[in-house]
Amino acid sequence: MSTIERRDLATTTLTVNGRRVTREAGGHMTLLRWLRDEAGVVDPKYGCGEGVCGACTVLVDGEPASACIVLAAQCEGAEVTTAAGLTGDDGALSSLQESFHRHHAAQCGFCTPGMLMCASAMLADGRSRSRDEIREELHGNLCRCTGYQHIVDAIEDAQGARR
Amino acid sequence: MFVKPFRYERASSLAAAAHALRAAGGGAKILAGGQSLLPMMNLGLLDLDAMIDVSHVNEARGVTEEDGYLRIGALTRHHELLADPLVATRQPLLAAAARWVGSARVRTRGTLGGSLAHSDPAAELPLAMTALGATYDVTDGATTRIVRADEFHVSYFTADLADDELIASVQVPTLGPGWGWGFQEVSRRPGDFAIVAAAALVRLGGGEIVESRLALAGVSERPRRLGAIESAVTGARAADLAERITAIEGIDPVTDTSATAGHRHHLARVLSIRALTDACRRAEETA
Amino acid sequence: MSDEIRTSKLDELRVVHQPLARHDAAEKIAGSTRFAGDLAYTGMLHARLVRSVVPSARLTRRDVTAARQVPGVVAVLLGEDVPNNEISVDVPGQTIAVGALKARMQILATERVRFHGEPIALVIAETEDALAEACEAVEVELEELPVISEPAQALAEGAFEVHEGGNLLAEWRIDRGDVDDAFARADLVIEGEYTTQFVDHAYLEPEAGVAWYDDDGVMNIRVATQVVEHFRDVAKILGVPDSKVRVIAPYVGGGFGGKEDMTVEPYLALAVAHTRRPVRMQWTRNESLLARAKRHRNQMTYRTAAREDGAILAQDITIVSDAGAYAYLSALVLLYSSVHACGPYRVGAARIRATTAYTNNPPTSAFRGFGGMQVVLGYESQMDELAKRLHLDPGEVRKRNALRRGDRLPVGQEIITEVQLAETIDAVRERAGERPEPSGPRRAVGRAIASNMQSYGRLVWLNDSAAAWIGFQMDGSLTVRCAVPDIGGGQASSLAQIASEVLAADMDRITVHFGDSALNPLAGTTTATRQLLMSGNAAYEAAVMLRDQILGAVADETGHPLESLAITPEGITSPGGVTSLTDALHLCRRRNVPIEALGTFFGPKGTEVTRDLEGDRLFPDFTFGTHLADVEVDLDTGQVTVLRYIASHDVGRAINPLSVEGQIAGAAVQGIGQALLEEIVMQDGVNLTGGFFQYLIPTAMDVPDIETIVLESGEGLGPFGARGIGEPPIGPPLAAISSAIADAVGARPTTLPITPERVLECVERGVIRDEP
Repeated sequence: MSTIERRDLATTTLTVNGRRVTREAGGHMTLLRWLRDEAGVVDPKYGCGEGVCGACTVLVDGEPASACIVLAAQCEGAEVTTAAGLTGDDGALSSLQESFHRHHAAQCGFCTPGMLMCASAMLADGRSRSRDEIREELHGNLCRCTGYQHIVDAIEDAQGARR
Repeated sequence: MFVKPFRYERASSLAAAAHALRAAGGGAKILAGGQSLLPMMNLGLLDLDAMIDVSHVNEARGVTEEDGYLRIGALTRHHELLADPLVATRQPLLAAAARWVGSARVRTRGTLGGSLAHSDPAAELPLAMTALGATYDVTDGATTRIVRADEFHVSYFTADLADDELIASVQVPTLGPGWGWGFQEVSRRPGDFAIVAAAALVRLGGGEIVESRLALAGVSERPRRLGAIESAVTGARAADLAERITAIEGIDPVTDTSATAGHRHHLARVLSIRALTDACRRAEETA
Repeated sequence: MSDEIRTSKLDELRVVHQPLARHDAAEKIAGSTRFAGDLAYTGMLHARLVRSVVPSARLTRRDVTAARQVPGVVAVLLGEDVPNNEISVDVPGQTIAVGALKARMQILATERVRFHGEPIALVIAETEDALAEACEAVEVELEELPVISEPAQALAEGAFEVHEGGNLLAEWRIDRGDVDDAFARADLVIEGEYTTQFVDHAYLEPEAGVAWYDDDGVMNIRVATQVVEHFRDVAKILGVPDSKVRVIAPYVGGGFGGKEDMTVEPYLALAVAHTRRPVRMQWTRNESLLARAKRHRNQMTYRTAAREDGAILAQDITIVSDAGAYAYLSALVLLYSSVHACGPYRVGAARIRATTAYTNNPPTSAFRGFGGMQVVLGYESQMDELAKRLHLDPGEVRKRNALRRGDRLPVGQEIITEVQLAETIDAVRERAGERPEPSGPRRAVGRAIASNMQSYGRLVWLNDSAAAWIGFQMDGSLTVRCAVPDIGGGQASSLAQIASEVLAADMDRITVHFGDSALNPLAGTTTATRQLLMSGNAAYEAAVMLRDQILGAVADETGHPLESLAITPEGITSPGGVTSLTDALHLCRRRNVPIEALGTFFGPKGTEVTRDLEGDRLFPDFTFGTHLADVEVDLDTGQVTVLRYIASHDVGRAINPLSVEGQIAGAAVQGIGQALLEEIVMQDGVNLTGGFFQYLIPTAMDVPDIETIVLESGEGLGPFGARGIGEPPIGPPLAAISSAIADAVGARPTTLPITPERVLECVERGVIRDEP
């Protein structure tokens, strides 16, 4: 019989935006709550708790995940990147973020961190996507302010600049 | 958001997970991808002592081909299923169904076993398995039993799965020579839950349907094989399908916030015709 | 996307009219903006509401004993624990016949609940985890009462009273000319019944806030809100002076009118007052969909009398709206519906009867468009029908009837600025070009246009005003202070642009402190598309005053006449040379000339209306526009694809063109969502819509690029001739989409949302045109 590790509280270590963070917290804590309340990283947002709106999108070992429907303890040892992690230590915006800025892709800004992580994952695979393909990848990230267009413009531009 | 605390346990094997389920006496659930379970948790619908995480178990992953079957580990993630060349070539209907599952984020974490165990009557993978005549290996850690898909999915979010059992793997018949497939889904927005979905397979002889399999999701408490339609279209050509399929019987769709029962009935017919038409076209192409 | 801006009056502007990246955008994109739910305080508690699970009931027992015992719980409050448990809303313009109603609402219900989700108890605990168990432990017994689920039911003889005194909340009437005579003379009469649905704001940021007592015993509430002036309401509830409450609005994650009424504020204040500790409250998406006030469901009956050349002779309109369980702003919203009911057209005669009634549905209140947008479905569907039946071009018939400067609306309001409606019609049609072909058999393509007008600025009898303070620092950098809440429409950065333009200050050296009711001059609500008009003008005035103060001081010092001086990026220029800005500022200090100024802008005035609406000025002004939609319909499944969408508005002056385009695109997509997807589904008062998996807002795949053509007549009442643009673009999609579907399948959808089932009903009713 293989072993099972039992914990009432879960001690979880994650590398968040390059910083190793270890916290002991309830095993039921979602990654979103853990990041916000335990690690002090508040740019991923609570928007729905259903994994539908995408405002909590982060990268876990490079893959996009809805942090609100992943348990922190599930991710033990992983590298987690949030939008704040794209920003340089000196506050400089990455080229993807610059593109968002240039194209007015943020209005209220609440969906923006999640959008950036979705875009980040898109750009990482090196593929060149059409506007329709970009929209297809974005459909799991809701925005109520911009109508999506400027966000698509920003990603298209960043795609071109990547080459 | 407001969740009653529970214990997180990580299992290192399926057997260990089954053991943990037994020990919890019904107060625990398996956490695989979590894409269906955790939204329920956040909505306050769960009252658990523990969640048993199997997402790091190394067994029960991946796709192998055996004699006429694909054996797929229950912990295979949807995006792995989509990327697998065996699935793409040997059972493309399954790949087609997987493409409709949720969003990219859901497909990155969600697992085959998780989706099947959840047994949502509108879900794509239980539908595909029913249409394909797949079987599931269900284990309690000590013994394994084999359950047919159409017997496993019992009712709304209810499966033939005891409190201490998990799906270990799935056996999916491969697409035989001369067979074509079709998969159609209607949802309110791309990536949403299906209102109705149809999975069809046909084998042609001289341009006419010799044999077919048709199943629908979203029209009943579980995916439904439509034997009556399969009989009705035997001998038909693709162009005759609309004539042959007048009304769909043996289904009992509900009215909910997405659609009325009447609309689901209507879509059942439309999608059956479209899925069978696509299947005929593909069967012609392989011939 | 090459979005066009066409300018009628060219001015030499330095930063206004530049597509500058907004100053707040960088922080939002860097992920460093702290929204209302992002701050945490040492020793902070968490609060959550226990809400009614039924729509209509008497509360027979409320027992919090067990809840108080749950480990981690600090307090559980009921209505009796609230110093002043009742807030009231004025219901304007209603006569004694309707009832001199002061609509009342409790903070925590004590005897009766009137909607599914009404707050009953407030639970305060050390952790969020304790709240889940504690809320369940609150014992509530209810005796269910009859449920009123429709206004018709509410207004029937002997109907159960949702509120004492009857269910009629408000009525408005507009009469102009001889309607019956016009109908008798008409060549064509078109009748239509149109129904819109309950819609939710669905901002990405659910309601949230944190509150605490500061070192001076002032209640501080940092909350996602569009209105910092709610400090007065909170003070009243707590029974403390107004000056003891401060509301801070950080950047808000979307408002759209849904954060215009109080949401978490009273509960945070109560929790802090009771525990003397900081408290955070975050509503779940489920709570937000359940209990936050919705857009009014409207039933509208239109009878339109027309001449065979397409001229509208008369409109006879009835509007019934569902006020839900509590009044909130329903009477005012209905007033907007009434005044806007005939659209941007000259109408010979009109009779408009509007009624709003209490039901046990969720309360309804402000939502972008504020009643002026639902009626677009009515008047534009009628116009579209008119064109079809008279075989007239839809653009021509609209131009024929379009309002012009000097015309009056049925209510009597004179149009005092230029109307570029015809130009917006031409703009979208020119851009659209040829109709697309269907993508296959069993597909049909349709095209339609829809025009609208929407007011900007508040009703004039509300004595609207806004103030802004601008001051130089000694090093020449600039500070702007204005309590305007910024909900993503660039409200704060517009002030920076205006100040920069007038004072030649570098945008990078301007700081805007906004959204603080204690530390900033009050600027009123970020609603009613009023902020550019109000705080924009206030900032403009402050900037002009400040400029003149500095130039005056330099004139006095140098002896050059004031008219010969100018403030430029290089400094103060005069015939004698250039004085650097910092030198000029020091000069002001020496001469006792202030280097700051407070500007106040007062909105136009008017008398409060009565139920029989009439007045030559109710709103300051209006924004006009036209949208065009191409859709493809799957004739077997009823699914609709929006192939193309073009929107044109005359914005007067685009202070920031990128912002303007963004507002238009965002509003158009929200309107498309209402047209095709969104509905809060109610069944006998029970709200069935539990999450974003059920409440469907448009995703990136549901809409195409929104092509925008911005016209600038320079004729707006805002700074530099700007008009408001926040609300106007949300109305036309309702009609553009529904008329386009009608064009595709030959029968008109009249109920929103236009679900695939409703499309299929139209397909059955219509005659499928043979494609040419």
